[in-house]
Amino acid sequence: MNVSDRCAVSIFGVAILTAASGHPARAADVEYGEYLSSECVTCHRTDGTVTKIPDITGWDTKSFIAVLRAYKTRERRNKVMQTITSGLSDEDMEALASYFASIKRARAK
Amino acid sequence: MTVSRRQFNVLLGASTATVTLGLPNIARAAAPRVVVIGGGSGGATAARYIAKGSKGAIDVTLIEPSKQYYTCFFSNLYLGGLRDYASIGHGYDKLASNYGVNVIHEWASGVDRDKREVILGSGARVPYDKLIVAPGIDFKYDSVPGYSAAASGKMPHAWKSGTQVQLLKAQVEAMREGGTFVMVPPPNPFRCPPGPYERISMIAHILKQKNPTAKIIVLDPKEKFSKQALFMEGWENHYPGMVEWIPTSISGGVKNVNVESMEIEADLDTFKADAASVVPAQKAGAIAAAAGLTNDTGWCPIKPETMQSAMDDNVYVLGDASIAAAMPKSGFSANSQAKVCANAVRGALTGSKVFPARFANTCWSTIAPGDGVKVGARYKPGEGKIAPTEKFISQTGESAEVRMETYEESFGWYDGITADIFG
Repeated sequence: MNVSDRCAVSIFGVAILTAASGHPARAADVEYGEYLSSECVTCHRTDGTVTKIPDITGWDTKSFIAVLRAYKTRERRNKVMQTITSGLSDEDMEALASYFASIKRARAK
Repeated sequence: MTVSRRQFNVLLGASTATVTLGLPNIARAAAPRVVVIGGGSGGATAARYIAKGSKGAIDVTLIEPSKQYYTCFFSNLYLGGLRDYASIGHGYDKLASNYGVNVIHEWASGVDRDKREVILGSGARVPYDKLIVAPGIDFKYDSVPGYSAAASGKMPHAWKSGTQVQLLKAQVEAMREGGTFVMVPPPNPFRCPPGPYERISMIAHILKQKNPTAKIIVLDPKEKFSKQALFMEGWENHYPGMVEWIPTSISGGVKNVNVESMEIEADLDTFKADAASVVPAQKAGAIAAAAGLTNDTGWCPIKPETMQSAMDDNVYVLGDASIAAAMPKSGFSANSQAKVCANAVRGALTGSKVFPARFANTCWSTIAPGDGVKVGARYKPGEGKIAPTEKFISQTGESAEVRMETYEESFGWYDGITADIFG
């Protein structure tokens, strides 16, 4: 499956979810974000365990995206993050931000 | 009777009741079945992600003989005294209790791909709809003349974690004062490309403290190696005069090892070792060949979009056993490949959304406490193989602050990836 196929699937998903829930974009983004997040959780813990690698759950989505962009433009220097973000589009960053924001909400309940 | 045995009996019961193999999944009485062979970084990650993502819609069985899995990554830090042995061991309890994975602690001895059944050492058969094979490596012992499985007791390869690594540590620490440690790294391709050189660093670290006049001789069958400039610089900085790396163009290659006299013979000279580690050439874990999944190289060709075997669409091969082209054979790579595979397997069995494959790897190495380096890349499916898109590597002459950050980051990564693999 190429990227354009995936976009088509995403759009289709949004249309279905619009009818079902009234909160389409976030639900669709979170599903894609969960898939993308599997790359992040190789290093970042999501269960509250503190390590030298920061907790990225529950962030404000704008801050989350701003930090990813700063790695992509190499303003931030960590080479692993520069490399990971080189493969993320704006849409990918938004999906990841929504997904990781949703984790803290789930844990806080 | 163990829990896994009980679960296995239940599984067999379900399989006898379900004889509708030719029908679509929806017509079956039971959930579709995924069987995973090998509970390392690739296999355990795949089992966890399929069970977690399908929320019970897929019946996942993991076949792994060990009840406690000791990671190869960070085993060098145990050799160097920077981690204790228990801290690199992981069990499978959470995969069973939190995700409902059936864990069978037995060897898989064969695969009947026509009947879609895995044959266990006990003779029992475990049916599957999709099979994931992640057996790691086996050795070509005769690649080093005089070496053998038996010889590994005297000159441990220690290239599968566990008792071999403990044995090597004990032998290094028992060396006479001013003695010689000889390391014979493997030829390409092999598990963990920077691993032999991190091992040399960690053994040098131990010797520097306990036996500072000891020497390390490296008889390498290669002319160059991963992170070479970084390791060479680090050895000179931390262990000046201790490590002598000799490529095959100078040594002429290892002609024989004698574990009784502890002599390693090369064209250049015969080296008398007080302790030694010999790591032979490698191939995919034996079950991969038994299942007919390997080619002439001894490794398993795959389709890079899904990690499916090139030999069989119902079988996926992960990690060291696979031919993942530019991706190194590492625990990180296997974990990354497992997530692509899990997404594809769930899509094939339950119709869940399948997203494009994306792969990543980073290999951290410790040269000395507080001095860490790393190399990494992103990858995507290319023309019939996995191809890199973006790469990085630590630089020589980096500040102590950057090296300390990298070193500490590697410990964070270990915590993260082992939670991601084992739950």
